[in-house]
Amino acid sequence: MSTTAEHAGGIAGHIHPEPQGFIRRYVFSIDHKIIGIQYLITGFVFLVLAGLLAEIIRTQLLHANGGFVSNDVYNEVYSIHGSAMVWLVVIPIVTGAFGNIIMPLQIGARDVAFPWLNMLSFWIFPVAGLMLFSSFLMGAPVAGWTEYPPMSLLGGPGTSMWAAAIFLVGVSSTLTGINFVVTMFQMRAPGMTFTRMPLFCWAQLATAPLLMIATTALAAALAALFMERQFGVPFFDPTKGGSPIMWQHMFWFYSHPAVYIMVLPMFGAISEIIPTFARKPIFGYKMIAFSSMAIALAGFMVWAHHMFTSGLAPYLQLPFMILTFTIAIPTGVKFFSWVATLWGGKIHYTSSMMFALAFVALFTFGGLTGVFLAAVPFDLHVHGTYWIVGHFHYVLVGGSLTGIFASTYFWFPKFAGRMLNETLGKIHFWLFFIGVNMTFLPQHWLGSLGMPRRVPEYDPQFQTWNDVSSIGSYIMTLGILVFFVNVLVSMRNGKKAPPNPWGARTLEWQIPSPPHYYNFKHIPTVFGLPYDFSQPLPYKGLEEELTDSPVHAGAH
Amino acid sequence: MVENRAPATTLGRGFWIATTVIALLALAAIVFWSYTSLRIVMPPVAAQPGGEIDVLFRFMAATASAIMIVVAGYLIYFMIAFRARKTDPPDAIGVQIHDNHKLELWWTIIPTLLVVILSVWSVKVWYAIQIAQPTNGLVVESIGHQWYFTFRYPQIHGEITGEMHLPVNQPVVMNVTSADVIHSFWVPQFRLKADMVPGLINTIRFTPTKVGRYPIVCTEFCGTNHGLMSGNMPTWQGKPNPGAQYLVVDTPADFEKWYHGWQVKNAHASDAIATVSTGTISLAGGDAKAGQALFAQKCSACHAIAPFSQRVVGPGLKGLLDDPQHPNLVDGDKATPANIATILQNGYKGDIGQMPNQAANNLSDKDIANLVAYLSSLK
Ligand code: HEC
Ligand SMILES: [Cu+2]
Ligand SMILES: [Cu+2]
Repeated sequence: MSTTAEHAGGIAGHIHPEPQGFIRRYVFSIDHKIIGIQYLITGFVFLVLAGLLAEIIRTQLLHANGGFVSNDVYNEVYSIHGSAMVWLVVIPIVTGAFGNIIMPLQIGARDVAFPWLNMLSFWIFPVAGLMLFSSFLMGAPVAGWTEYPPMSLLGGPGTSMWAAAIFLVGVSSTLTGINFVVTMFQMRAPGMTFTRMPLFCWAQLATAPLLMIATTALAAALAALFMERQFGVPFFDPTKGGSPIMWQHMFWFYSHPAVYIMVLPMFGAISEIIPTFARKPIFGYKMIAFSSMAIALAGFMVWAHHMFTSGLAPYLQLPFMILTFTIAIPTGVKFFSWVATLWGGKIHYTSSMMFALAFVALFTFGGLTGVFLAAVPFDLHVHGTYWIVGHFHYVLVGGSLTGIFASTYFWFPKFAGRMLNETLGKIHFWLFFIGVNMTFLPQHWLGSLGMPRRVPEYDPQFQTWNDVSSIGSYIMTLGILVFFVNVLVSMRNGKKAPPNPWGARTLEWQIPSPPHYYNFKHIPTVFGLPYDFSQPLPYKGLEEELTDSPVHAGAH
Repeated sequence: MVENRAPATTLGRGFWIATTVIALLALAAIVFWSYTSLRIVMPPVAAQPGGEIDVLFRFMAATASAIMIVVAGYLIYFMIAFRARKTDPPDAIGVQIHDNHKLELWWTIIPTLLVVILSVWSVKVWYAIQIAQPTNGLVVESIGHQWYFTFRYPQIHGEITGEMHLPVNQPVVMNVTSADVIHSFWVPQFRLKADMVPGLINTIRFTPTKVGRYPIVCTEFCGTNHGLMSGNMPTWQGKPNPGAQYLVVDTPADFEKWYHGWQVKNAHASDAIATVSTGTISLAGGDAKAGQALFAQKCSACHAIAPFSQRVVGPGLKGLLDDPQHPNLVDGDKATPANIATILQNGYKGDIGQMPNQAANNLSDKDIANLVAYLSSLK
């Protein structure tokens, strides 16, 4: 009666009837796919809001004297822009949305390990998001997404609201991390050993511990900031014996790993998209999987590279500098592997593939300018300038956001059951790609020439390149607008998606688009890596997935 | 099931042509960064050890450009050479290679070597900056305020505002701190910066090597007018900007002159270091004369001795205690000497703007007593 398959199928091996009624199905759903889509939609809504804030920033900077909004409003705008992009857009989309929708399908599970916890994680997120934006109504924080005290102690009352909101998002992502780790350890289909797991899941597996461990440091820092602001407990105020530097340590102990939370899952997505459209096995599967782990681990030991000018003891700077350089090695391995995957391929230029290839180029650039920053001597020059802004936008926009678009074009047919329009996709791509480079490339030399970041007005000699940057950002925004039009139109009128429009080989493509509530009629058995295009698919037990046969609840 | 294995591709002529082009481009980038004037990305360097940072930058820029060209070069070449063609059967697949251990070894070893070189080089420059600089140079101090810098020099009383001067070719030990929030002291031409953290003293050591005027730039967000703490912005919305400050490197003779000027000007200035008192400040024995001198130094940038309505940044302060039109102070309390002292102690942010607090204005309790005596004496 109890077969191995059933054990491996774990908690979700048993099929519960699909809940009826709109609310249970689409609002308080416990289905990982619906929850993932909820994450995606919410994340995209916040992308629009935070993107509008970005355009206020770039419009202000069109002129050296600013003048579009007041200094104080400007400071609130960029603070919420950064906080929202990190915590309400990128992290929820790369983990909560794509992790939720795709990971259980790829490992052959029927849901995540704790579906109710999953629902809770999701519902915390929009609440926290609304709290964050509501801080505008009461005097939003002004000291950027990093909120260094003592500035953050002086910021408007909304700063406490900000701390509470980010604390909640942190709780939400910690729960997601726990859920994903347990799911991947316990619920892989029989035969899916770790060395047969798709690279997207490996990337989620590397990310989840970061979500669980790093986020707790952030939570502690935020709680301390909240207590200091509301109840006067002196953690950070130097006039009362607190230490502003302590905040920086706690904040970056979270926020450097957060950089990898934001990009590792997209590394995983790229590792699925490139082989699919090159019709080739991923080059160096083991090295790519292993390097994700290496990056995640090393990511915990480099936080003070953000603090080289804060007054660290000089000798302390050395280990942080050298360890940060070292991360370039496993990262490089990934990028070389992706490029090598193309060699000898049969490359199909879908929108998804174009975004994936742009990801490779843009992130390489962002990674390289980051190596400059790891070098203490050069960092002393450019820390706190637009060089930093240029660098991390290449990583987050050229990397994470480009990866999000690549993933959306790739997986939209699977979860929405409709194809996105390829022509609009290409228009989106070119506007976005040109816009990104135009916006963020000049920021590097603006910074090294002398322009500090977080300024509502600036030295007039920098105006020309700022104008280029602002115009670039409008082009980029136009591209994103085309994307949303594409999504909205295709959702209703797009071509119906076949189960496997791209000829991809991971499990999610072997079942209908969109998948049934229970994902698999039978939990399949896996006996190989999914990337070998010359071989038959390495799965058994999928024969009935695309037929009308009823689901087999108990027996597998 | 797909069975049409694509023919095994060997490294053909196209590959070697592409490799040659990529190698030449990478070489060109290396040559470019070795010889170009860095003026395109950085202002000309004007201090040691800033020059060593520039050499390190050339190395990093050359290596990074070469790597970028290699990655992007092969990416683009493969994209063109291995595109699916219309003539391909729809189920055509690529060469089924899974890895190549030799290649993987190489692309681990070469970056590792580069990282080793970069580490050694960076440590060397780090040593020049953090350890090797002379410790016996001219000791100067800069204090960050919202939103300007002040400076202290040995044997000059009180604080210097406006420009700071340094003699050329003489080692400097510069200590920085803050009177309020975190600021950061940066002179782009010197390639050095240090955060100004309240309660903490950070030190940078350097030797200016070129006579000239260099803007001082704050690079840590410090409130509303953070953007104005930057040279080259002498006015803002039609008003003088106290945060537009320069570091001027002088010949020794010019420096002497400037230094003497301040010694005389500040002969009677208070050396008090900012303290933040919490209790009520005793106003007994306030000296209006001393208060007047202090007012000229610390308050006149924002206040005129004129009626309330005549603003500079803050309101005019004449007749504060008996102005029938303004019986109350801006914080709504009755105009009494004790309440004036409270505003000086805690600062106040109202409709007009931000009145800095005691620490930000760098006032001792005695200073406050003197200022209140002076302000009360104005009828
Ligand atoms: C950076 C500019 C600035 C400086 C420097 C400054 N003040 Fe003020 N001050 C203000 C502003 C702005 C206000 C009004 C605040 C409001 O109501 O919005 C103010 C208000 C005051 C008031 C209250 C006036 C009233 O009518 O109620 C007093 C008294 C005062 N300042 C004294 C001083 C003294 C003495 C100094 C020198 C130690 C000084 N200020 C330095 C900006 C400044
Ligand atoms: Cu970091
Ligand atoms: Cu500042």
